Amino acid sequence: MNKCLSAALVACVALAGVSAFAQPAAKPKPIINPPPTAKDWADIAKLPDWSGAWNPKITDQDEQIKTNMPPWTDKAMEQIRFQQAEEKAGRPPPLFVNCLPESMPAWMLVTHNSMEILFTPGRVTMLGESDSNRLRRIYTDGRPHPEDPDPTFHGHSIGHWEGDTLVVDTIGVMPQTYIAISEAAGVPNNGDMHILERIHLDPKNKDILLVDLEITAPKVLTKPWKTTRIYFRQRARTYDIVEGVCLEGYFNPAKDKWGNDIFVPIQHAVGGNRVPPK
Amino acid sequence: MKHLSRKVAAAVAFLGLVAGACPASAHHSTTMFDREHFIVLEGTVKELHWTNPHVAIFIENAVAKPGVPDGMWVVELTSPGNLVRSGWTRNLIKPGEKVTVEVHQLRDGSKGGGLKKITLVSTGQSFDYNIRDQERPNLEGETYK
Repeated sequence: MNKCLSAALVACVALAGVSAFAQPAAKPKPIINPPPTAKDWADIAKLPDWSGAWNPKITDQDEQIKTNMPPWTDKAMEQIRFQQAEEKAGRPPPLFVNCLPESMPAWMLVTHNSMEILFTPGRVTMLGESDSNRLRRIYTDGRPHPEDPDPTFHGHSIGHWEGDTLVVDTIGVMPQTYIAISEAAGVPNNGDMHILERIHLDPKNKDILLVDLEITAPKVLTKPWKTTRIYFRQRARTYDIVEGVCLEGYFNPAKDKWGNDIFVPIQHAVGGNRVPPK
Repeated sequence: MKHLSRKVAAAVAFLGLVAGACPASAHHSTTMFDREHFIVLEGTVKELHWTNPHVAIFIENAVAKPGVPDGMWVVELTSPGNLVRSGWTRNLIKPGEKVTVEVHQLRDGSKGGGLKKITLVSTGQSFDYNIRDQERPNLEGETYK
């Protein structure tokens, strides 16, 4: 190599170095959700069949009030006892009468309505009825929880498959959501709640779905509480999940002065029932 | 939905005035209804509110009895989804139909309650529901005809 070329090369390298320094540091690429591949969809087909609508075993929810009371703190227990006495006296405490979602973990614990579960690449989605935003997104794409998730009614859920069991880890649930043992007894989790679930078909009956929950809520429970909730698979189309806009019950259809179809508000009692006409 | 009957419209107008101060209905407990006993209404269906989270039937009770005044009553049921699974449709009970209704009355004695059973006078057909009766898989999901 002649001197001239060498000098030119050195100059070029130096210039490149300078220009590299002169440019701002490259921005980290945004994390994207990649388009699913054919293999991703093929892998979905290998998962256990959770199709259909799943309705809850309400009698078991009832029974566990007697057989599997959460390990409440004394203060929480006092509230539960009060609520149970009120319920017995015909004054059910208004836990779920504001049309906010039943939320986690109460949805899994005390729902009277059905749900469906969808598998797509990277995600399991649970859809329910009755309070219009009953929706859980469980990320199965390997992402971690955010360091400081925005609190939501259903929390931030990540899941992975252990054989045919979906293991779900949930944090970031709003402190106001109830750990409920019925529609009329429960205590807000008050923060720092962590929910572990193992969701799987009953090995003895593949048309039964079992949700094993372990709820850690140090503000209201003295130790983690374990419970299993039971759901039955229905395939008849009458069991398809229907729209369930809870606020609909606030209103009655009517006509305005223009003849338009509108909604007008109606009154409800504290316990949630419509107030009878006088 | 058809135009509201005058009485229902009046009731709704009244309720509208006082709404806002009270919480809405949601999947509430039903112990405000006296589940141990039931009363019987005999009258005419005025409105069916096929709404979440609880369906309601407005009934003009024509037969007053002790503790069961005549006039407009509101009887609540479970959600539309749960009713469909119990064989109901939103047209099963139509405004104008004569009915006999067994009701778990509100414990405060007012003119409302939870449905036990409703019978159409014209056909003698009865309808009820029990969501705790659906606790096995692969139900046929029969619909009332």
